[in-house]
Amino acid sequence: MAKKRLSGVVGFWSDDHKIVEAAHKMREAGYKHFDAITPFPVHGMEDAIGIKRSSIPYVTFIAGVMGGSLGLLLEYWTSAVSWALNVGGKPYFSLPAFIPVTFELTILFAALSSVGAMFFLNKLPQVDPPIIDPDLTCSKFALWIPDTEPGYSPEKIEAFLKQIGAEEVRRVVEF
Amino acid sequence: MSGLNIENVSPQKFKLGNTANMAMMAMAGLGFALLVLGFIVNHERAWHAYLVSFFYFTCMAMGGLFFTAIQHVASAGWSVNVRRLAEALASFIPFVFVLGLPIVIFAGKDLYLWLNADEVAKDAILQGKAAYLNKTFFIIRFAIFAGAWILFSKKIVGFSLSQDNDGKDSWTVCALKWSVAFLLVFALSFSFFSVDFLMSLEPHWFSTIFGVYCFAGLFQSSLALLTLMALYVVQNGLAKGLVTIEHVHDLGKLTKGFTVFWAYIAFSQFMLIWYANLPEETIFYIDRSHGGWLYISLALLVFRFIVPFLALLPRWAKRTPAHLTAVCILILVMEYVDIYWLVYPNYSHEYVAFSWMEIGAFVGFLGVFGIIVTRFLGQHNLIPIKDPRREESIHHHVTY
Repeated sequence: MAKKRLSGVVGFWSDDHKIVEAAHKMREAGYKHFDAITPFPVHGMEDAIGIKRSSIPYVTFIAGVMGGSLGLLLEYWTSAVSWALNVGGKPYFSLPAFIPVTFELTILFAALSSVGAMFFLNKLPQVDPPIIDPDLTCSKFALWIPDTEPGYSPEKIEAFLKQIGAEEVRRVVEF
Repeated sequence: MSGLNIENVSPQKFKLGNTANMAMMAMAGLGFALLVLGFIVNHERAWHAYLVSFFYFTCMAMGGLFFTAIQHVASAGWSVNVRRLAEALASFIPFVFVLGLPIVIFAGKDLYLWLNADEVAKDAILQGKAAYLNKTFFIIRFAIFAGAWILFSKKIVGFSLSQDNDGKDSWTVCALKWSVAFLLVFALSFSFFSVDFLMSLEPHWFSTIFGVYCFAGLFQSSLALLTLMALYVVQNGLAKGLVTIEHVHDLGKLTKGFTVFWAYIAFSQFMLIWYANLPEETIFYIDRSHGGWLYISLALLVFRFIVPFLALLPRWAKRTPAHLTAVCILILVMEYVDIYWLVYPNYSHEYVAFSWMEIGAFVGFLGVFGIIVTRFLGQHNLIPIKDPRREESIHHHVTY
């Protein structure tokens, strides 16, 4: 297992509306690499911290198109080129007969690639991230600013978090 | 968003301008006048034109009630604020009964070969089917189906309207129970209805998936219509904070989903018949692959599936009013083309017949439908204002 590495500042809230407002202010103040950690999905949070849309849909689309094309190619090659077989007097290349397999392979490629892309983008299967505070899975909401933030200065961030209403501010260093 | 409170937002009254109202009356009058003229000139063709438009608006009305029922059955929260729009579509259902009666009673052999006694006498297959395909049973079936639909629409929509008055949660429970029953009744009755009115136009032909095919078209197109109505409400600010682009987005998603469903069912019907290659089944597609009909068949594939599917695929497509409006109108046009494609080869094998008679019938029905639906919306609140799940619908938000 890779070494756990965690260093940054965390501010806690106990109200989901207030943390959304605070996240808005944080973004307006120019912070870029911060994240919100909440026990449940908070409406409006993706907008507040400026999370961009996932790129999974593009993976799905391209993989779907590829799956469909490969499926059609496979059927064409096996039933019209490699081993041409007369089925019921129909043409070797009969599109209606090939659609079901094309369709299924479109779905198969699109679905599996989506799951794969999701794992990749989520950095799964990383199942033991460092624990900042156990209460973040049940009753507390937090804004987390890691030390990768450009111009990282713990004192400044601590003051700013207090200013935007954090109920508790803590510096986290864990290696 | 979070700041909204149910108490401080309420829908405006829907009010139709006098010009729009007059225009719809004129459409109804002019359309039916053209239709009457059509009956004098060529009654056989006029019946076909009438049947296409009748079936089209039956689909819209039933689509509204079906949408309402599945929202109740799923105990859906997001859709509460657009449910009244679907209920407005369902208010046309009594007219399905009124406008369908002429077909079952008077159309006779102008539409249906099996109502032509001379033809039946020399056709063993039609004689074999006579126990089901005969005029008395046809009328009885239609009366039962339309009667059941009226009953369910009055009940399910009625509960919702009663709740607007007294705000009792128990109406929601009643609506759930009746909706479950309606879904069962609808599945059977609409299948038989489409078999009776459309499939029996070619009484030698049969397709076991035909009812599902008609349903797929019904739901895709009525969802497109609902999307347009919701967009109208959003863009005119009739229910600010209540019906938003989020609701429109989800209706657009459903429209896209059922676009694929339609294609799936349409292809299932085609592929099995193509594969088995039995003469009594292939006749349907042979009729539709000759003359101008081949182009209509291909147009269905392109403009009812490929174009709307790709056009509704990106997220922005479902949140851009002008784009969404264009796609929904395309789907609604293609629903007409689809029903026309099911009906008209029965009238003219060789060429595609479309002129003032078909337009007149459609405009006439559209006028009546518009008057009924807008009157319902004018008489009632634009959203179910006391539904127990209304708050969930206000906060509805489509995440990335």
